[in-house]
Amino acid sequence: MGGEAAGPVDPVDHGMKFWEKQANALRNTLTSRKVVRLDELRRAAEDLGPRYYELEYFQRTTEALRRVLLEHGHFTEAELAAKMAEVRRRYDAA
Amino acid sequence: MKHHDHDHSHDRSFDDGPPSEHEIMSRAMQELLEAKGVITAEQLRRRMEQFDAEFPQRGARVIAHAWVDADFRRRLVADGKRACAEWGIDLEADRLIAVENTALVHNVIVCTLCSCYPRALLGMPPTWYKSENYRRRVVREPRAVLREFGTVIPDDVEVRVHDSNADMRYVVVPMRPAGTDGWSEEQLAAIITRDALVGVTVPKP
Amino acid sequence: MTLPSAYTETRARRFNVGERVRVKLAFPPGHRRTPAYVRGKSGVIERVCGAFANPEELAYGFDGEPKRVLYRVRFRQRELWPDYAGAEGDHLELEIYEHWLEAA
Repeated sequence: MGGEAAGPVDPVDHGMKFWEKQANALRNTLTSRKVVRLDELRRAAEDLGPRYYELEYFQRTTEALRRVLLEHGHFTEAELAAKMAEVRRRYDAA
Repeated sequence: MKHHDHDHSHDRSFDDGPPSEHEIMSRAMQELLEAKGVITAEQLRRRMEQFDAEFPQRGARVIAHAWVDADFRRRLVADGKRACAEWGIDLEADRLIAVENTALVHNVIVCTLCSCYPRALLGMPPTWYKSENYRRRVVREPRAVLREFGTVIPDDVEVRVHDSNADMRYVVVPMRPAGTDGWSEEQLAAIITRDALVGVTVPKP
Repeated sequence: MTLPSAYTETRARRFNVGERVRVKLAFPPGHRRTPAYVRGKSGVIERVCGAFANPEELAYGFDGEPKRVLYRVRFRQRELWPDYAGAEGDHLELEIYEHWLEAA
């Protein structure tokens, strides 16, 4: 990454959406409580491969966190899918 | 649905627009972990508060104090984490190294590998710090990147880039600008911007 | 109660401040904290940060022991980039683990 050609830097800080602040708090709480390690999250982000460059920052961190939490067995793919469906229904109903 | 200011853990904000897949994924993971007792809603709420209100205020206060107290400044540069702890600021996991701007050296910080940043001192990094363009270019053409922020460093001043690629975290101690004699620490802190603490700008009175 | 520090202790270490070192020119797969742009390059030890659990192991769920010594290394920009357009006196500093360094 460092030293590769790239375009101009947008010097404006575009801040964070509310869900991104929650995602940040989630990630930070989990690392500070040592539920996951920052090194694992970085590795999982790197392992996204070409998707790394297609995703925005918090999309990347969310997918990396999902990978590591699955590895640690905190939930299964099925549990996550079911909970996502429930959250989606709740948000749609609002 | 009303946006409840006092209980963020079960709401979303309509300012975000319709929920994306990643928002839903993040929220689902959060709720699963809360239900399983891995974390609590209170812990998350407290963290969000710290990132919003507490952490972003600290950096300017620390540097303003270093500007008025030469001994604190020395200790800050020798061991940033210890100096902050002695002054009452717990940086948690951040192993802070403070790098001083002088008449001969201008420092600028990046994390090319991800987005390491002294979050407990400065809050969340700005979007540009996390961008691929900044991470790719500032190590190789720092002066050109600084110009994009409106900052021009003369050739007889060294531009020193710090890539926080491992365990340490960095903050720049900018030079105190002329025209601030006799200012209180509060007045000084008000001109110490986050961008100056990362090194892409300098404070102006 | 001891105050926290940015640094940790090291027991034995190979290099000291001021010594010239070269970063190994190697591209092993997996998680590494040594950016590609410094591999094979020479610089000078600027600071000893201490001994830390190896992130290359932590990344995969291992405990990263035994700890590895971490150094800050200073490089001349003109040595890192053949086409460096800035000033002759410009430098870059970053952290390199001992097992990535050789005497230069």
